[in-house]
Formats: sequence, C-alpha cells, structure tokens
Amino acid sequence: MRLIEGVMYRNYAPKDGTDPDRITFVQVDADKCQACGACEEVCATGAIQSINDDEIHQVVDPVACMNCGQCLTNCPYGAIYEGVSFVDELFEKLKDPDTIVVSMPAPSVRYGLGECFGAATGTYVGGKMHAALRKLGFNYIWDTEFAADVTIMEEGTELIDRVKEQGEKDARPLPQFTSCCPGWIKFAETFYPDLMPNLSSCKSPIGMLGPLAKTYGAKETDTNPKKIYTVSIMPCIAKKYEGIRPELTDSGFSDIDATINTRELAYMIKKAGIDFNNLPDQDPDPVLGESTGAATIFGNSGGVMEAALRLAYEVLSGEKLNDPNIKVVRTHEGIKTADINVPNFGVVKVAIASGLKNAAKICDEVRAGKSPYHFIEIMTCPGGCVNGGGQPLDPEIQASLFRSTVAQINRRFRARKIKA
Amino acid sequence: MKMKRRSFLKACGVMTGYAVLSVNIASEAFAAAMSFVASRQKSVYAADANPKIYKFRKSQNNPMITKIYNKDGGFLHDGPCGHKSHELLHTEYIDRSAKLSALKAKGYKLNF
Ligand code: SF4
Ligand code: SF4
Repeated sequence: MRLIEGVMYRNYAPKDGTDPDRITFVQVDADKCQACGACEEVCATGAIQSINDDEIHQVVDPVACMNCGQCLTNCPYGAIYEGVSFVDELFEKLKDPDTIVVSMPAPSVRYGLGECFGAATGTYVGGKMHAALRKLGFNYIWDTEFAADVTIMEEGTELIDRVKEQGEKDARPLPQFTSCCPGWIKFAETFYPDLMPNLSSCKSPIGMLGPLAKTYGAKETDTNPKKIYTVSIMPCIAKKYEGIRPELTDSGFSDIDATINTRELAYMIKKAGIDFNNLPDQDPDPVLGESTGAATIFGNSGGVMEAALRLAYEVLSGEKLNDPNIKVVRTHEGIKTADINVPNFGVVKVAIASGLKNAAKICDEVRAGKSPYHFIEIMTCPGGCVNGGGQPLDPEIQASLFRSTVAQINRRFRARKIKA
Repeated sequence: MKMKRRSFLKACGVMTGYAVLSVNIASEAFAAAMSFVASRQKSVYAADANPKIYKFRKSQNNPMITKIYNKDGGFLHDGPCGHKSHELLHTEYIDRSAKLSALKAKGYKLNF
C-alpha cells in the first residue's frame, strides 16, 4: 500500500486474462472505517454495506460494484482504498529502451491534474500535461481526445443509421444509449441486460485509441506493434476494469496495457522530480493526438450529447451548424431532456442522465416501452468525468462531510447512552 | 461498541481542530462542494470555446479525422461504421445478470 494524493493504493497490476469481475478495484480498510455510512449514501447499487454490528462497511462483492469510486471520493475518513495500480509496472516500462510507451490521456485529466500542483479547481493544464508526459519518457504523446472525435464520427453515424432503419426488418432499437462510460456499461450488463441492444456498439474513446495505436499508429510511425505499451490515463477507476476486459484485443494484442488515473499521474510526475508548474505548453503528436472542442467536452455530463449533435445536425440537415453551443443539453446533475429541431429532418429527442440512480429511472422507462427519446447519454459520476472517482479529491468534501459526520456520530452516541 | 466510542472521541478531536481553524463553515461547505464540479465544468466549456486551445469545435472538422477517413487510401477509408471500423472500433456486450442473481441468492440485498 502507498499513499497517492490522499488515497491509499495497493500495488497490484493484474495480468492479461484476469477476470475483471473478480477484482476489487475499490475496498474499505476496516481499521479506518468509522461507520458513518457516507459511502452507502452515494453508492447507487448498494454494493457497499455495513457488514457487522459495529457498522463497519465493505464492498460486499465486486459483481455488485461498478468501480465508480464515488464512495471513495466521498468518504470523510479516507478509509477507502484503490485495489489496482499499474504505477510500478509503468515506471519499469518507461525505463525499458525496448518498449515503446504510448500516452492516452482522457479529456478530464487536463482539468484536474493542475489541482495536485496547487492550481485552482478546474484549471486547464493540457499543454503542461503533454510536456510532462514527454519528460516522463513516453515515446508517443497520443491523446484520447483524438479518439473522442473518432467516437463522434462512429456513434453519430450509428445513431443516424438507427433512425433511418426504423420500420425495417431487423432494425436496431431506439433509443440509442452512449457507451463511453465504463461504470454505466457494467451497470447495464449487470442490471439491465435486456437493454444491451440499445447500447451503442461503439467502444469508448479509450477502447478505440488502444487498437488504433497498435495498428494505424504503428503503421504511421513504423513501429513494431509488439513493442507498443499503451497507457490509458483516466479521471476514473472503472476504466481500470475496462482496460482489462478480455474481449478488447482487436489489434491482435491486448489493446490497453495499463490504466492509471489523474492522481497517479500527478504522483508519477512528482516522483520523477518534474517541476510541473514551470513546464512549457506542448502539443501532442499529431497523428493520434490532434483534437477539437467537441472532444474535450466529453468530460462533462451532456458533453458527448452536444458533440454528437454538432455532427448529427449537419449530416441530417445538410446545413452548417453556425453556433456549436448547444447549451440545452449541458447538465450539472439529475436528468435533462431536450427537443432539438433539425431543419429538413424534424425533431431529435434526447435525454441526459448524470449518476446511476437517474440512469435506472431512464432504463425503467425504456424497459416499459415508454421512452420517447432517440439518443440518451449516461454518465455514472454526477456532473460527468470531471468529477470522476480518479480525480483529485475535493478538499471541501472531506471537510464538510466530516462536520456533518461528527454531528451524526454525536447523535448516535447520545442515543445509545440514553438507551443504556 | 468499542469502535463507535473510539470514533466519537476521534471525531471530537478533529471537530475542535475545525472550530479553531474557521468559523461559520457549516453553511459555506455545501455550496463549496457543489461549486467544485461546476468550476471544472466551466473550465471545460471555456477551453472548447477558446480558439487558442482548440482550432476546431466539431469532430468532423479535425484534419486528422479527415485524414483517417479519407476515401482514397485513408486507414478507415470505408467510412464511419464501415468494415474496418466494425473490426477495430465496435464491440459486443456481456450479460452479467447471472452473477448478480447468484449474489442475491446468497442473501445480499442490493438497490436494483
Ligand atoms: S464513508 Fe468511509 S468511514 Fe464512512 S462508513 Fe463508508 S468507509 Fe466507513
Ligand atoms: S465504487 Fe461505486 S459502485 Fe462500487 S461501492 Fe463505491 S460507489 Fe458503489
């Protein structure tokens, strides 16, 4: 175990072929748990429960846990640790001259990483992040944002195809659900498997960049794909689960070799003695690195929807979308719905759900055949990936929850005294 | 029982610390926690709208996207959702509900 940016991590990098359903990515340290129940309140599935009379909590079984880490970031006592960390393996690979290490950072990492180096919440540090990755020794600075643009092309096209084929024999069903969020995907597979035909068949952006790196990227850079080691850098814990899904081997190799999160990247930068704040801004390597605003907004709830609409609008109407801001789909929490008027086509009905409790409401509606929507975006973490379980902790949450917790414990303790 | 008493004492200690450090925190705390996510979100939309950071705002305008989907010799020349895309970029899902039923059969109560 070691402490990384306020969170304990086990040094454990699962080998290829390990069943991800048997790994605990998130677990409670029973010695540190103070029985406050805050984790249980934020967990949508009920995977984290009290296991004894002292109300010590545990994730009861990895099958019920979506690996979102919302319990971890909301535990006021720092009692919850991460069960998987590729940091040591990655340091080894970066040292090995025979391994071509490829970086694949998600959009949200660049809006959280700076906080670990004293910047204000949300400060954009994309340029410095790319420079830091180069300094750490990554051979190619490729970026998951490029794959987010690919995702829009694929998922937007899939949506348009699905709309067109309605009424035909063997038409794929509507609504189409987004498939970028690994917590949501596991949730659908576990609790709503009957809705799997509604999930977009598109892999997530990182699920696309892995195989593109070892095929297209290898070709463009004249690299032996066998030597490529792809590193997914995410604001998320559930992406560690996605990274070892055994079916993600379409490049002919394991598509994603390692997954770390924002906190672990900050740790590695500090450990390597890099002066982050004084780094110059640098661009990624272009082939699999260049990206657009549509890609960066994937980090917010409503972002994938807005990015997809920027494409669908132009394809369906044949006209240029003059103002790319589609503010009606931007979401902070809860469920948001909107009707988008597309000229020469009609109305596109969309919904956006933030958090799995809201996702369940939407799923029940689809299951009952009562959903009027064409396209539904779901994010496991309230607000989206910027608030992911692998992002730097909110210093206020620990402090504020701590205070309400103290009040709660006070109450319980007093109640017991009266009884006794 | 022992654990709870211990946590009570520990919590009291921390509480005193907070009381010394700052006054009037309780009301501000909730607002601050909410604004934390909002400030990251705001920064995302600001970057999206900043031409110095992102020259283009639509995926279809990314020159590297045009290149990879180019009909003449692009890596994904048969277009989005084409043959090569299906091979590399699309996937299938796995029904995990049996594992859930097995867990419930052991007596665990879950929310769904
Ligand atoms: S939030 Fe932390 S201290 Fe509270 S019950 Fe859960 S693990 Fe224990
Ligand atoms: S990681 Fe998410 S699903 Fe798993 S116990 Fe924590 S809050 Fe619940």
